[in-house]
Amino acid sequence: MQDDNPPQGYLRIDFDRDRPDPTFNSHVGNLYLKRGEKGTHDQFVLGFRVHQHMCNPAGGLHGGMMMTVADLVGTMGGGFLVGLRKFLPTVSMTFDFVAPARIGDWVEGRCELVRHTRSLLFTTIYLTVGEEKILRASQVAKIPSGDGQPFGRARLDRSAKVAAERPPS
Amino acid sequence: MLLVNLQVRIGERSRIWTAAFLSLSWAVSIPPGFRELTEALGFAAANGPWFEKIEAGRVVRAFRPGPQHANALGIVHGGMLAAFLDSAMGTAVFHALERRSVTVRLTIDYLGPGRVGDWLQAEGEVLGHDEHVAQVRGRLYGPRHDVLMGLGTFSLLSRRRVLRTRS
Repeated sequence: MQDDNPPQGYLRIDFDRDRPDPTFNSHVGNLYLKRGEKGTHDQFVLGFRVHQHMCNPAGGLHGGMMMTVADLVGTMGGGFLVGLRKFLPTVSMTFDFVAPARIGDWVEGRCELVRHTRSLLFTTIYLTVGEEKILRASQVAKIPSGDGQPFGRARLDRSAKVAAERPPS
Repeated sequence: MLLVNLQVRIGERSRIWTAAFLSLSWAVSIPPGFRELTEALGFAAANGPWFEKIEAGRVVRAFRPGPQHANALGIVHGGMLAAFLDSAMGTAVFHALERRSVTVRLTIDYLGPGRVGDWLQAEGEVLGHDEHVAQVRGRLYGPRHDVLMGLGTFSLLSRRRVLRTRS
């Protein structure tokens, strides 16, 4: 297993608790989540380390991987920012591929709320490496009426954090 | 393909049988004319196998999503669909203009769900281009309905530029 070496504050997201087969979110690679103070830029940050299997033949991060993560940042992060704990299906997305990312880069995804209606959520998503923006996306997601489907079985894997905090025996 | 869906839902005990059944059904159910893209590397290889067919001057790409392509709802992940349509649109550019390209902008509308086990096809059409940029329309569809509609701007790379691949 490649070493992701996530920066301080990130916890891996376990998308497939108790599920026999991994879903796409696990299949593409490890994704991490950092949560910050409410109302700040870092309230919801998704991160991942770029590995070979996420790249195109030229050695740059594949656009498909960027789109996958941006989609997730919009539906999961957008839902989180407005306090919805349900699955939001994507209606439409536009991606601008601003710059490439390379193997070994730590990519972060953040989203910004544009508008929240009863049935739709409009967001703008940026993927960045350090200070540099690599992808800008704009998303429209559907907010299902009623309770909708709960957001899968995703939860944060706290085992690494717990292990780190445990005093050596 | 209903059988595949049923098989996927059956529990842990029959997983080996499910795997055998899926690989068998995939092996025998590739529509005629499609070639597996065995040269794929990295992301495409990790999320394949992908297939391609050239028919009447058009390139059609296809894949059969498995459980690893699904999201929490059990339908195909929007990111996977976007990645696949993007690849089909890029291939359409190469086929029409004999120029390699990179995606600059891609707009996608999700029209309907992509089902695990269905044979999904995608194709692109170059609407127009100049020396540097091509405008492409893309469509991804299953056996019953359209799944994605895409509109993309692709930056054309210089004919002389050789993309070095890293293995």
